[in-house]
Amino acid sequence: MQAQMNPGMRRGQGQPGAPRGALGRAIGYLGNHRRSVAITYGALAVATAAQLAVPQLVQNMIDAVTAGVVPGASPDTGVSLVINASLLIVLFAVMRGVFSFAQAFMSQKTSQDVAFDLRNAIFARVQRLSFSYYDQNQTGQLMIRATDDVERLRIFVAQGLVLAAQSFLLLIGALVVLALTNWSLTLVVLPLLPIAMVLFMGFGKVTQPLFMIIQAKLSVLNTILQENLAGIKVVKAFTREPHEVNRFDVAATDLMEQQLRVNRIFSFLFPVIFLVAQIGQAAILYFGGAQILGGTLNLGEYQKFSLYLVYVFFPMGQLGMIVALMAQAAASAGRIFEVLDAKSEIADKPGASELPQISGHVEFRNVTFRYFGSSDPVLKDVSFVAEPGQTVALLGATGSGKTTIINLLPRFYDAAEGAILIDGHDVRDVTIDSLRSQIGIVLQETNLFSGSIRDNIAFGRSDASDDEVIAAAQAASAHEFIMGFPDGYNTKVGERGTTLSGGQKQRVAIARALLLSPRLLILDDSTSSVDLQTEHHIQQALDQLMRGRTSFVIAQRISTVLNADQILVLDKGQVVASGKHEDLMEDSPIYAEIYSSQLLGDAEPTAAM
Amino acid sequence: MMMGHGGPGRMLNTETQKPKNTLATLARFWHYFRPFWYAVALTVTLIIVATVMQVAAPVLIGQAVDCYLLPRDSACWYSTLQPGADTAALMGGLGGLVGLLIVLFVGGSFLQGLAFYSMNWAGQHALRGIREDTFDQIHRLSLGYYARNEAGNVMSRITSDTDTIQQVLGFALLSVVSGVLQIVLTMAAMLAANVPYALISLTVVPLMAWATIYFSNQARKAFRETRQQMGSVNAGLQESIAGVREVQAFNREQESIDQFRRTNAANRDANVRAASFTSALNPVLEALGYVAIAIVVVVGAISALRNQPLLGTAVISLGTIFVFIQFVQRFNQPIQQIATLWTNIQSAIAGGERIFGLLDVKPELLDRPDARDLPQIQGRVVFEDVTAEYKQGEPVLHGVSFTAEPGQTVAIVGPTGAGKTTIINLIPRFYDVSGGRVLVDGADVREVTAASLRSQIGIVLQDSFLFSDTVMNNIRYGRLGATDEEVIAAAKLASADSFIERLPQGFQTVLGERGGGLSQGQRQLIAIARAALASPRILILDEATSSVDTRTERLIQRAFDQLLEGRTSFVIAHRLSTIRNADQVLMVRDGQIVERGTHPELLAMHGAYYDLYMSQFRREEEPAAGGEAAPLPA
Repeated sequence: MQAQMNPGMRRGQGQPGAPRGALGRAIGYLGNHRRSVAITYGALAVATAAQLAVPQLVQNMIDAVTAGVVPGASPDTGVSLVINASLLIVLFAVMRGVFSFAQAFMSQKTSQDVAFDLRNAIFARVQRLSFSYYDQNQTGQLMIRATDDVERLRIFVAQGLVLAAQSFLLLIGALVVLALTNWSLTLVVLPLLPIAMVLFMGFGKVTQPLFMIIQAKLSVLNTILQENLAGIKVVKAFTREPHEVNRFDVAATDLMEQQLRVNRIFSFLFPVIFLVAQIGQAAILYFGGAQILGGTLNLGEYQKFSLYLVYVFFPMGQLGMIVALMAQAAASAGRIFEVLDAKSEIADKPGASELPQISGHVEFRNVTFRYFGSSDPVLKDVSFVAEPGQTVALLGATGSGKTTIINLLPRFYDAAEGAILIDGHDVRDVTIDSLRSQIGIVLQETNLFSGSIRDNIAFGRSDASDDEVIAAAQAASAHEFIMGFPDGYNTKVGERGTTLSGGQKQRVAIARALLLSPRLLILDDSTSSVDLQTEHHIQQALDQLMRGRTSFVIAQRISTVLNADQILVLDKGQVVASGKHEDLMEDSPIYAEIYSSQLLGDAEPTAAM
Repeated sequence: MMMGHGGPGRMLNTETQKPKNTLATLARFWHYFRPFWYAVALTVTLIIVATVMQVAAPVLIGQAVDCYLLPRDSACWYSTLQPGADTAALMGGLGGLVGLLIVLFVGGSFLQGLAFYSMNWAGQHALRGIREDTFDQIHRLSLGYYARNEAGNVMSRITSDTDTIQQVLGFALLSVVSGVLQIVLTMAAMLAANVPYALISLTVVPLMAWATIYFSNQARKAFRETRQQMGSVNAGLQESIAGVREVQAFNREQESIDQFRRTNAANRDANVRAASFTSALNPVLEALGYVAIAIVVVVGAISALRNQPLLGTAVISLGTIFVFIQFVQRFNQPIQQIATLWTNIQSAIAGGERIFGLLDVKPELLDRPDARDLPQIQGRVVFEDVTAEYKQGEPVLHGVSFTAEPGQTVAIVGPTGAGKTTIINLIPRFYDVSGGRVLVDGADVREVTAASLRSQIGIVLQDSFLFSDTVMNNIRYGRLGATDEEVIAAAKLASADSFIERLPQGFQTVLGERGGGLSQGQRQLIAIARAALASPRILILDEATSSVDTRTERLIQRAFDQLLEGRTSFVIAHRLSTIRNADQVLMVRDGQIVERGTHPELLAMHGAYYDLYMSQFRREEEPAAGGEAAPLPA
């Protein structure tokens, strides 16, 4: 018998201690596709019954032949008996074929349906999780859950469950037939079954962890490769080639040795598993032979017995595979439900009201905030008021709490103590949609989405007309470069699309925020390296954007700070000074320090100019 | 008998790539196997013996029927028992035969295991050789190669190609070889028993082969579609997760969910379509197997019952019918396996072709055969009428000449794409000039060994690359022999010690991939310490343009000043103070030095530098009464 190894096992990673209930819950998703499930298992029952009938039919054929060779029998009767038996077996073959196709196809289809449901559920969940969830979880992990984990679970639902049912049916059916055919011969092979069982089940258990070690060593090797490619300039600059080559050779040898260790086990364990089944065949040949000579068994029965014996060992092999699949699927299901069950702390209150059209009055009242799992507050008792139309510049070192303030306004987080009031409404008392739709945000790192430039500008208002989109782009100084593309506003961006420069992206983001014509604006005006002209364009766009709106700006530019109606100087989560530039220059030493070091940088008075 | 319904589906779901020049590639593979030829020879021998043993088993079982169970001397060749022997004698003979059968089974299993291991042993060793050669080649290739080929692509090519090769080297190769052997030997055994009977019994085999090829091809086509759809699903996920803050800020959750739903549905439908082909293959092969049994029995029975020789050969014995039933069942599994694995083998050959293609890329910047070591240098750098081009006929530098005296600081300014980076890349000979010369202490950089040249040059890049190792080892990268004390001293010099000590494990803190967990400013401080440890005579700096916080910014500035002291330095400058302090400022535009001199001299020229400086300056100056200048643009 040819050893067939499942290549998927190479990548398997069972995780012990996964919640048991999770797998059950995942299987519960089959409930949405009852009809497909019923067809799958119905087909499975018929196909398995047909499969169980085949050895009996083969026996009939052989009996017909052996009956015919008995001296004195009419050859023609024998021949027609054989032909009839053969036609029957062909008929069954067709039936078996049709139903096992139906079983395989429907189980695949159902599993794709379940994967579809799970992915949608994960995606919907991921879209609504709060910022604090993203602070604590890596996005790469989320990707893996929605792809690899769902796929692993799907394979279990498609193959694991169905094959388990099929294997049990076949195993029990075959054992019953064996016992009925010849119970004394059954007794001969019975002792082999527990041995086979242990071998099959143990196989996955032994090899699984070994494959995990291989994976770990492979990833060590790939990390070296990755680092050397990404950091090739550093390697070359420091002439560390021999050092790196040596490091790689050690890792490659290490990986090879682990591979060989696993192969050693495989090479001897795998044939042994099949050997058990073969020994079973040899045993029944001997003991069955004795019975044939003793006249208690005929050749057809022996042949039938031998075929049914295959049906006993075969499902046991499958069950061994399924156990391995199940361990992986359970771990995956656990990880998937971890995402689906993640609570978003930010949700509409029951009975939250719509925030009416605001004028843009903002008040922070004794606000304290700390990030999840941290005891140190990043904001301590912060209070201030911004009047409608004012520009508020936030100033302070990294980690002083600037970003936190702008994150609290659209309720990306909730304050631990105190309240944030917009036009007198506590942000926690109004619906999130009505709140955020009145706030425009331009982040420092601009994400654009695949689609056209137009789609991206209309991101917050998909119903905007072309004229509105163009007007917003013009106000953001983006119209000109957009029209420079052959496809203008229909230019595709994002994956497989045109790559925009940092400055272009930022202007699209400004247009996107402008289109909402929000009363409240949040800006992170720090620009990464852009050329002079772009810098100038962005500045213009931002000035345009802030006009007449209540604006909160994390300020990096002198001009922004100088033009602000109110400057909040933050230090270690507290507002240590506030006021206009002129006042602060006199009253606040901290401001004067930040002004000269951060905003002016290393510039010296250029009197010589 | 077949195992599992999912196997072939999953195996077919791999990219099929047809190799272009199979023979040449196989020869290249053989080059890596040759040192382990004895293992390969052993494998081949073992697999032949094991397969013969496998095929012999049903023959023996047939003999058990013909010699002992239903003795017919015409068909029995195994035993010399006379017809009419008593039961005890028959049982004795049968016992011997079963014993032989068990020996065959045990021996076959053992040999198969051994063959599997020796094949893998040779394969893994060959693969290690391929991996090591690839890694060597990565370092021999010049930066010019990486400018044309993105490092990420090179990476995924190497990993996925070696992975496909790895998958095939052991198991798949062995299975295909033994599958082919099994089919050939089974056919041979059948033909040896009775030629016409064998031919009639084998009529379904071409059908099986056709069905396999047809369904596999269809499935492969369908899977190509699923891969594209899966790509869209992944892209959709990736994008929404990366941009989740924006999605929420703009209330776009529902639209984005609906959009994903559509992509997801397309992916599901493509997969279901593919499943219709993969699900069909097994049932069809199985049904054909039963038809084969029916043919064997009917044809055999007609001959046996009528006692007629089949097509003028011999009367078919019961034992022969029996054996043939076993034989015909032995075709579908190898056929199916070869079909699925063949794809993998083709992909592996194609993967090998690409890897060998990479190995064949001629490194552009190897040391000349007569290259000498550059002795300890003073640090005098001269560019003589240098022209450089990344692509033939598109010069990025033309006619660049300048001299940097030992200890001088040279600031290079100019707009993006002007050629600043190209100038600094030529000094450590990351690229070769296409005209003119670059001289270090009077030696043409092309005439000395790269190692001796680069070991005297320190480089701090704008985006500092760190390895996922301890902070200590990252700094030590500058000089591998350095003691811990020297590393810490270098960190002090670079003002990096204070933040390093605040890390959880101080200098022993293991950094995440590419220095993850540290800010860009902190990464740059470590890179400065690394360069300081190397204590080079020539220093190349690329000032960071992106904003780092004030304190780090000042630390970096101080570290730079420390580092520059007494060394010949080239700085791509974004800070006014750097430019001011430079002994020489080179204003670069369109690949040429358009102005040179000190900062005041350049300003006095009222030329390109003046414009660059003023446009920036004027805008920042407007509101501020004092008149300050912000960083100059890149």
